[in-house]
Amino acid sequence: MAPPLRQRDGRPDPDALLAQTQRESRGRLKVFLGAAPGVGKTYSMLQNARRVQADGVDVVIGLVETHGRAETLALVDGLEILPRRRMEYRGRTIEEFDLDAALVRKPTLLVLDELAHTNAPDSRHPKRWRDVEELLDAGIDVWTALNIQHLESLADVVSRITGIVVRETVPDKVLQDADAVVLVDITPDELIARLHEGKVYVPEVARRATAQFFTPGNLTALRELALRRTADRVDDQMVDYLRRKAIEGPWAASERLLACIAADESAERVVRRASQLATSLNAGWIAAHIERRGEIADATKAECVRAALDLAERLGGEVKHVAGPDLVEEVLRLARRENITQIIVGGPRRNFGHRLFRRSFPKALAQAADQFEIHFVPTQEATPRPRRTIAGLLGRGAALEYAVAALAVVVAVVIGEALTGILRLPNLSMIFLSAVLFCAVRYGVRAAVVASFLSFLAYNFFFIEPIYTFTIAEPHELLALLVFLAVAVLTGSLAGRIRDQREGVIKSAAVTQSLYDFSRKISGAASADDVLWAAAAHLHATLGHQIILLVVAGDDLSLQAAWPPDVQLDAAETSAARWAQQKGEPAGWATGTLPRIRFQFRPLRTTRGVVAVCGFEPPDATGALSADDERALSAVLGQTAIALDRALLAREAIRASSLEENEKVRDALLASLSHDLRTPLSSIAGAASSLRDLGAKMSETERAELLLSIEEETGRLSRFVSNLLDMSRIEAGGLKVRRDWVDVADVVRAGVERCRKAFPHAKIRISLAPDLPFVRGDARLLEQVLFNLLDNAQKYGGEGETAVHARREGADVVVSVTDDGPGVKLGDLERIFEKFYRGGRADGRKAGTGLGLSICRGLVESMGGTILAQSPAARRRGTRILVRLPASEPPLLGGAGS
Amino acid sequence: MNGRRVLVVDDEPEIQRFLRFALTAAGYEPISAETAAEALRAIVSKAPDAVVLDLGLPDRDGKDVLRDIRAFSRIPVVVLSARDRETEKIAALDLGADDYVEKPFGIGEFMARLRTALRHAAPGAPRTNKFDIDGLIIDTERRLVSRDGVSVKVTPKEYDLLIALVRHTGRVVTHRQILNEVWGPAHADDTQYLRVFIGQLRAKIERDASAPTIILTEPGVGYRIVENGK
Repeated sequence: MAPPLRQRDGRPDPDALLAQTQRESRGRLKVFLGAAPGVGKTYSMLQNARRVQADGVDVVIGLVETHGRAETLALVDGLEILPRRRMEYRGRTIEEFDLDAALVRKPTLLVLDELAHTNAPDSRHPKRWRDVEELLDAGIDVWTALNIQHLESLADVVSRITGIVVRETVPDKVLQDADAVVLVDITPDELIARLHEGKVYVPEVARRATAQFFTPGNLTALRELALRRTADRVDDQMVDYLRRKAIEGPWAASERLLACIAADESAERVVRRASQLATSLNAGWIAAHIERRGEIADATKAECVRAALDLAERLGGEVKHVAGPDLVEEVLRLARRENITQIIVGGPRRNFGHRLFRRSFPKALAQAADQFEIHFVPTQEATPRPRRTIAGLLGRGAALEYAVAALAVVVAVVIGEALTGILRLPNLSMIFLSAVLFCAVRYGVRAAVVASFLSFLAYNFFFIEPIYTFTIAEPHELLALLVFLAVAVLTGSLAGRIRDQREGVIKSAAVTQSLYDFSRKISGAASADDVLWAAAAHLHATLGHQIILLVVAGDDLSLQAAWPPDVQLDAAETSAARWAQQKGEPAGWATGTLPRIRFQFRPLRTTRGVVAVCGFEPPDATGALSADDERALSAVLGQTAIALDRALLAREAIRASSLEENEKVRDALLASLSHDLRTPLSSIAGAASSLRDLGAKMSETERAELLLSIEEETGRLSRFVSNLLDMSRIEAGGLKVRRDWVDVADVVRAGVERCRKAFPHAKIRISLAPDLPFVRGDARLLEQVLFNLLDNAQKYGGEGETAVHARREGADVVVSVTDDGPGVKLGDLERIFEKFYRGGRADGRKAGTGLGLSICRGLVESMGGTILAQSPAARRRGTRILVRLPASEPPLLGGAGS
Repeated sequence: MNGRRVLVVDDEPEIQRFLRFALTAAGYEPISAETAAEALRAIVSKAPDAVVLDLGLPDRDGKDVLRDIRAFSRIPVVVLSARDRETEKIAALDLGADDYVEKPFGIGEFMARLRTALRHAAPGAPRTNKFDIDGLIIDTERRLVSRDGVSVKVTPKEYDLLIALVRHTGRVVTHRQILNEVWGPAHADDTQYLRVFIGQLRAKIERDASAPTIILTEPGVGYRIVENGK
C-alpha cells in the first residue's frame, strides 16, 4: 500500500506542487455546471465573459447557442465571435465550432457552450470536450457549460431517475481537472415556471419527452446531484490546497482500486461502480481486462470488453490487459504490483452450463485474495438483452462442429450396427465414447458435449431394447445409459478443454516465437532504417494489414517504412499521426481522436520522447483489437522503440566522433594555415632584413636572388590570401557571379597561361574540341577554377604532364584536368572537395591550403555546373577533375550567321 | 668565431636561400638539411658548430629531432617556431634547445640569438664570478648585487632567481627551468611564485620596474636577461 502523501516534516507535498506547475502552462478550464437545461448557464457564462472583457481580457466566443433568445443575444453583442465551420453531411449543412480557427486566433479566453456536444463525423475529435482539451493544451483558457446529466459516471443514475437515456456524455476526469466549477442554480419551481414561459429552449421533437423530464421530482434529484458534485469538488480543492501549503490535514490515505473486466454484460456495471467508488474515495483506479489465455473471444464479447474499457478510460481509469492460465493468480499479481487496496469484480453468476465444472472466477478470487477488500457488483441486467438466437447459438464455426458431432455419432451407429451383425456385444458405449472423444480432440468442448447427447440418444434408439424407440425396458440399462452420458460429457469436455488449452499454448508459443524472431532480427539491425523495415514487416505478418512507420525528424514526421510498401497518407491520417507524435498518445481508429480513419497511430516512446509513430490498419475495423494482437503489438512497438533508440544513439555516437575528428582536423588545419601564411612572410622578412644588414657583404647575384625571392613569396602570399577571401565570400554568399556568355576555349588558354607564369617548369598539354559551345557564367571565376585545378595538378601531380581537355557532351561542356600523380584514394574522391582537406604531395609532404578545390566547387556550382574527381585517371595513375557546365548558345546578333 | 659551421634545418627553400646568403655574408659556413633524417646525418657527418632547427618538418616533429640530437650531442640548437605555438617552444626549450626565434624574424635578431648560443657553448668560455649587465653588477663570489654603484639588498631567493637567469644571459629560460632550479622540482608548475618574485626583483634592480630593460618577459614561455650592449 502506498504511504499517505502527507509529508511529516511539514514541507509541501511535491506531487501537489508538480501538478500545479504542470497546470500553469496549460489553459484554465472553468465549467458552468447546471442541473438541467434552462437554468441559465449560457446566460451566466456570457455575463461573466462581458465583465472580464471590460477588464481588458481578450475574450472570443467559440460557439454559443442563443436559441434566438433576446436576452442572450444582447449579451453576445459586442463580443468577438469566431465564424463557424460549415460542412456537408448527408446532404445537410452542419455548422460546427472551428477548432483550428480558435487555435490560430489564440485568444486568452474562449467561451464554448455545451461541453457534452458530439461533433460532426469528419471533425478531428468526435466529442467537444476533446476540442476543449486541445485548446487547454494550447494554453487557451476555456469557459464552458455542462448539465449534470451528461457526466459519464452519473449517466446511468440519471437514466434511472428520469427514464431518459443519456447519449452525450463527458468523462468525469474533465470536470475533476477543471480549474473552477461554477454552479448555476435555480429552484425546480422556478425552472418549471421558466419552461412554461417559453424561456427554456426545447427542440420540437423533444416536446413530449420534456414534459416527462421537467417534473419537480426529477429536477430536485438532478439538482441534488449537481450540488453534491460541486461540493465534492470544493472538498477536493480544499485537500489540494492543504497539501500544497503543507497544512496537516486528515485527508484520506491513498486507495487504489482494481476493476476486473470480464467479457460479459457485467463489464460496464463493474466499470461504473469502480469509478463511483474511486470518486468517493478520491482514489486512482485501474480497469483490467481479464482473459484466460487461449480462450477465443467471439465478436460480441470482444465488443463488450472494448466498450467497457473505453468507458473506463473516459471515467478516468487506467486500462490494462491481463491474460494467463490462472486468472486469479494474474489478478493478484497485478493488484500487488499496482498497490491495489480494493478489487471490484462482477458477482458470481448462476445457470451457466459450461461453468459447471469450473470454479467461478469471483469465488476463486474471494478465496485467494485475503489481503484485499473485494466488492461484488450484482450482475442482473440493467436493460433486458435479446436472448441468444438460433443463429447466435450456431455462430460461426458452430454449425460445422454440430455437423461433425452428428456425423461422428452416425459413424458410431454404423460401426455399432456392423459389429452387432458379426458378433453379439453386450455393450457398445465405448464406440460412442470414441466418437465423443474424437469430437472433443478435434473440435473442442462444444462439439464434444453435443456429441455426448446425440450419442446418448442414438445409443438408446439403436441399441437398447426395445430398439428403434427411445423407451428403455430394463432399469439397469437406464442406469448404464445415464452413466454413459455422464462419462461422455465429462471426458468429452475434459478432452475438449485440453484441446482448447493446447491451442492456446500453441498460439501463445507462436506469438512468443515470432516475438523472439523479431527481437533477434532487430538486434542485428544496425541502422534505424533496418529496424523500421523489420518492424513493419513483422507487424504486417502479425496483424495482416497495412503497417506504416513514421519517424520524427525535427518537428516533422517522415514516412520511413511501410508494409506493403506503397502507401499514401491522406490529410486526416497525417494529422492523426502528428497528433500521436505530439501528444504521445494513440490517435485514429478506435481512439478519441479522428476515430473514422482507417489507421490507428501509436507513438513509439523512449527516454528522449516520441521517436517514431506506428500506424496500423486493424484486422477487423468494426471490432476491437484482440488481447493477443494488442499484446503482440505493444511488445513489438516497445522493442522497436528500444532498437530505434539504440540505432539513433549509435548514429549520434558516430556523429560525435566525426565531430571530434573534425575538431582535430581543424586544429591541424589552423596550424598549417598559420604555417602557410608565415612561411612566405618569414622568407620576405628574412630576405629583406638580410639585404639591409648584410647586403654589402653579398655578391650581386645573391642580392638579385634575394630580391626575386621576395617577389615570388609576395605572389604566393597574395594567391593564398585571395583564395581565403574567395572562400569566405563563397561561404558568406557574397560572391557576385556574372552570367555572361563565356568561351570555354578562351578561359582554358588564359588559365593555362597564368599557370605557366606561376610554375615556369610546368608541362601542360591542351586539347580543345572544335566548335565548343558557350557556357553561361563568369569568365574571371571560371579562369580561377581552371587555375586552381592546374595549380593542384602541379602540386600533387609530380613531374608528369598535365592534360587539359574540353569537349561537348550532350547539353554540357566538360572541361577536364588530368595529372600524372599517384592519384587519390577512392574514399577521398569526395573529401578532396571539402574545405581544408589536403592530400599528400608526391614527395610525401603536405602542401597547399586545402582550399583550392572547395573554392572550385563553390564557383562551379554557383554557375550551375558540377565538379567531380576520378582516380585513377589512366594506367592506375593520376587524378582527373571533371568540370561540367551547361552549354548555352548566345542569341544570334542581328540575324547574322547560321 | 669566423668559419663556424651552421646547419640550417628547414624544408622551405626560400628560407634556406636567404639564410644561406645571410650566414655566408656574416662569415659563417652554412650547410642545409630539409628533413629530420638529413639533419641527423649532417650533425654526425659534418660536425656543425650550431643547428638552426625548424620545428615544422615534413617527416618528423622537430621536437623529436631535438630529443635525438640531445641524446648524443650538446651542440647549441636554435629553434625556429611560430609565434602562437608557446607549448611547442617551451617543450623544445625544456628538451634542451638553447633558444628560439619566432617566425617571421629579422636577420639581426636571428644572428644575435645564434651568437649567444654559440658563445655559451664555447668550451673555453671564461667562468666569470662577476656579471655586469647595463650597470647592474652581480658578484657571485660575495653574493653582492649593486645597481649603478648603489648596493641593492636582495633576499636569498631573489638572489638565486637572479643567478638562475644571469647564468643564461641572453638566452631565454623557461618558467619550468627557473622553478626547478630555484624552488626545486616539486614546484616546477607554480608559476605564480615566479611572477611575484620577478616583480620584487624588478622593483629592486630595474631603473623603471614598469618598463623593464634587464629582465625581459617572454610571454607564455619564460624570462630572459638582456645581453650587454643590446
